[in-house]
Amino acid sequence: MIVVPMFMIVMYALTVKGNSVLTLQFTFENFTRFFNDTIFPSVLWRSLQMAFITTVICIAIGYPTAYVIAQLKPGSQSLMVLLITLPMWINMLVRTYAWKGILGWFGFSSEIRVYIGMVYNFLPFMILQIYTALSKIDKNLLIAASDLGANDRETFLRVTLPLSLSGVVSGITLVFLPAVSSFFIPKLLGGGQYVLIGNLIEDYFIKTGDWNFGSAISLIMAIIILISMYITKKLDKEPSEERD
Amino acid sequence: MAKKLIEVKNVVKTFDNQVVLKGISLDIYENEFVTLLGPSGCGKTTLLRIIAGFIEPTEGHVIMDGEDIARIPAYKRDVNTVFQHYALFPHLDVYDNIAFGLKIKKQPKDIIDQKVQRMISLVGLEGFEHRDVTMMSGGQQQRVAIARALVNEPKVLLLDESLSALDKNLRKEMQLELKEIQREVGITFIFVTHDQEEALTMSDKIVILKDGVIEQVGSPTEVYNEPINEYCARFIGDSNIIDGIMKKDNVVNFDEVDYACIDYGFRENEAVDIVIRPEDIDIVPRNRGLLNGEVKSVLFKGVHYEVIAETSSGTSKTITMHVTGEHDVVNEEAKERISASSFTMDLEDVDQLTDSEVIARANAQAWTDEGEDVSLTHVEYNVEKKIGTYSCTFSTGAGTKITVKINVVKPTAVEDKENEEGIQAFDFYRTVDEIKESVALDTDLIRWADAYAWNIEDDSRVEIWDVKYDFDDENITEGDYQITFSTQGRELKIETTDKIEVGERIGLKWNPEDIHVMRKMG
Amino acid sequence: MENKKSSIIGKIYLAVMIAFFYLPIIYVVFFSFNRSKSLTRFTGFSLRWYENMFNNRSILEAIYYTVLCAVLATIISTLVGTITAIGLSKSKRITRELFQQVNNLPMLNPEIVTAIGLMLFFTSLRVQTGFTTMLLAHIAFCTPYVILSVLPRLRRIDPNMAEAALDLGCTPWQAMWKVIIPQIKGGIVAGALVAFSMSFDDFVISMFTTGPGVSNISIYVYANVKRVNPTINALSAIIVYVITVVLIIVNVVPYIQERRKAKLNAQLTESN
Repeated sequence: MIVVPMFMIVMYALTVKGNSVLTLQFTFENFTRFFNDTIFPSVLWRSLQMAFITTVICIAIGYPTAYVIAQLKPGSQSLMVLLITLPMWINMLVRTYAWKGILGWFGFSSEIRVYIGMVYNFLPFMILQIYTALSKIDKNLLIAASDLGANDRETFLRVTLPLSLSGVVSGITLVFLPAVSSFFIPKLLGGGQYVLIGNLIEDYFIKTGDWNFGSAISLIMAIIILISMYITKKLDKEPSEERD
Repeated sequence: MAKKLIEVKNVVKTFDNQVVLKGISLDIYENEFVTLLGPSGCGKTTLLRIIAGFIEPTEGHVIMDGEDIARIPAYKRDVNTVFQHYALFPHLDVYDNIAFGLKIKKQPKDIIDQKVQRMISLVGLEGFEHRDVTMMSGGQQQRVAIARALVNEPKVLLLDESLSALDKNLRKEMQLELKEIQREVGITFIFVTHDQEEALTMSDKIVILKDGVIEQVGSPTEVYNEPINEYCARFIGDSNIIDGIMKKDNVVNFDEVDYACIDYGFRENEAVDIVIRPEDIDIVPRNRGLLNGEVKSVLFKGVHYEVIAETSSGTSKTITMHVTGEHDVVNEEAKERISASSFTMDLEDVDQLTDSEVIARANAQAWTDEGEDVSLTHVEYNVEKKIGTYSCTFSTGAGTKITVKINVVKPTAVEDKENEEGIQAFDFYRTVDEIKESVALDTDLIRWADAYAWNIEDDSRVEIWDVKYDFDDENITEGDYQITFSTQGRELKIETTDKIEVGERIGLKWNPEDIHVMRKMG
Repeated sequence: MENKKSSIIGKIYLAVMIAFFYLPIIYVVFFSFNRSKSLTRFTGFSLRWYENMFNNRSILEAIYYTVLCAVLATIISTLVGTITAIGLSKSKRITRELFQQVNNLPMLNPEIVTAIGLMLFFTSLRVQTGFTTMLLAHIAFCTPYVILSVLPRLRRIDPNMAEAALDLGCTPWQAMWKVIIPQIKGGIVAGALVAFSMSFDDFVISMFTTGPGVSNISIYVYANVKRVNPTINALSAIIVYVITVVLIIVNVVPYIQERRKAKLNAQLTESN
């Protein structure tokens, strides 16, 4: 149930419409079509850009939040975590829909609206990952650092931050990945004017019915995501190898 | 003679082509406290688990009451186990943990209650019946685990390193208690441990295992007084174990001296291991004993002192330390000072010389008038792989400079055929202040002299055990000083109740029957 | 002094964040009572949209499918996941690690990719898409989460635990039921909860694997969002109520139990 569907995508992506199972003909036509078009690569690029910026915003907002929570008393910490988790239990679509109404008050551009929706949906993942990493740091390490003459700022930069990076990395995984492929947030909040790669895939499957080309697009996206995840993981591991 | 209860016959166990037990045969009698003793990985726990029925032996039989149970599953055996970390069921309270086995066997409720209450009082846990087991102390959990096993009235109780998780005092207490419980219930206990003291206190029979083979079986006194080989001697009790030669019956030789003993039956001039227990050696005035020695260390152990005496010296090398006065170079303009010392080095090491190594060896450093460290930006030296004297200049960014000499020499090592060791070290230069400021002088001296000792046989590194000098490092003045580096010689451990000082020269004495001679292993 | 100041700033910051998180939820609940159709102006209290909702067949159907699918997917994926996890914990290391890698795949893969993969899978088998395919898809993506939640609990169990049960006379089956299952109960419940919420919330996978006439709440919202439709506010508000009640029960009940247990233990300690 997990592996077979993946094969199906690869199969479809490498064939063109009209092929039956018996007369399979492998082709890269779908891929050349994608990259030779003027629109598709720019949509892909925009999706990646959007996901990247969303991730950066999530880190910028999420890290301080997680840090503040980690400084609270243990009881308040778990309460805050609970408070942040609670909205996640409510249907993502419903929450995004609610933003549509709120944002209706202000005259934001569709781009900003999509960003707000994205950050809103993915921020809790980032906060929770960073918080988990922060709360695992042994308090004695901070005491040791100040004992060795580091002031608060140095302790943070040289001890807390490097030790919490693993949380940031897993946060990135949880934000960047769904952000690239997200399609209902731009559709709901961007009002159809802001097309991302996810919307393209949806269109090719639901509207046009060109499954082969749709598969090719999703395969390209999946590969790009896998590569970026691999790079992120690498970046996380490198400093620790240096330390060894 | 008690009845034979379990007979382990030629049990072999392999895991993934690795032989863990290599044909174990062992008889266990009724009402016996048997200890399986050995380091981790010796197979003791595997043997226990085979008896318990958690694993099947690859070959061999386990016969209990005349029936081969080697292939009968654990839940059909009259054997119960106390696990290393107790494996108490966290979702059940104390009472339900103990009652678990009886409930599984569907015994009537009133019988269960009776038996559980009896066990609870046996292990002294009255009033704790409905406690959460996860909230109990290690000792209490241990008692619950024992009660949980014993309530099933097994013929044999197996205990797998059961005391290892407890702290030292509690462990002692539990040792006595376990022995007491065993006497009271009158069943066989098989106890697995790596702690020799535990084995000696509790057991009727000790089984020493090594690499899946039984090395020795015997009562505590037997294995203590007559270990069969070096391995067993090391495992049981603190021992001095010495390489020696059996000259003839009742005469054994070590460190070139013959000693009387009561052992016999060895080949003439057979290489042997000799055991002398620390408590069997007496300290007597110098020249009054069998051999002389010098006290190296004294540790107070509560009831007695543990004294280490050196009876023959190790390999040593003496070098000269040239102590010079202040020779900082002052740079008035930059308000900086720089200092460094000349040094001597091994011809062989020239190839591996790096800037940082040169800085370290010359102990080069620069600092400002305020005492801030200044980094050395430039190191210049023209050392060649030839014996001779070369110059070396260190400088800072501000241009403060100092030049020292590097003497490249061929080292003259001292080799000691008897000890099979070699040692080498180099003369060196240091200032008065450097010596006064040293925090760990012995270590610094070894580093400065680049002292190194090795084993002639296999070239492995040998620790430098002793650094001897006769200057007072607090009040040292300019001049040349001799320093002797040496390796560890023959050292004997002695237990005594008399207070004795480090450095004292003493005589050592023992009776012929205190020497135990063993065949060399393998 | 400075510390105090920074902690106040921190608290204000947190308060702003929490407000950000709850703003849309409060908004939805608030406007579900609006009398007019406007999504921006509150013109008075009314229950009109709730009434509307309960008269709307397709909403009720969507709720019915959502709940039914979530319940079935939860039950099946919990069973399958728990059994797999137990099997995995007993299998060899290499098998276990390999399986875990594969298990992580749906979680690392963009949802839309998993969704179209499943869709292609079903159509190529010539299965008519509909409720069954949606349910199967839900089971497929929920099971990994159950495994992920049960496996750590299993690993935390003392490896001697099962042996201890056998030693005390349990058959392997009894050991499983009386000793292992009670100890991983927490993990199973947590896994089931995650599975339920995943299934209940799911949009992307459902959309691609469902067939004509079968939609869940998310699909309904997505399809009807283009027109201004405060009925969706009422629907959303009801979801908020239900989830709130469920979460209170889930979070508060264990807390009270813990309190009681602690109290009991404290009393026992005192009486000794």
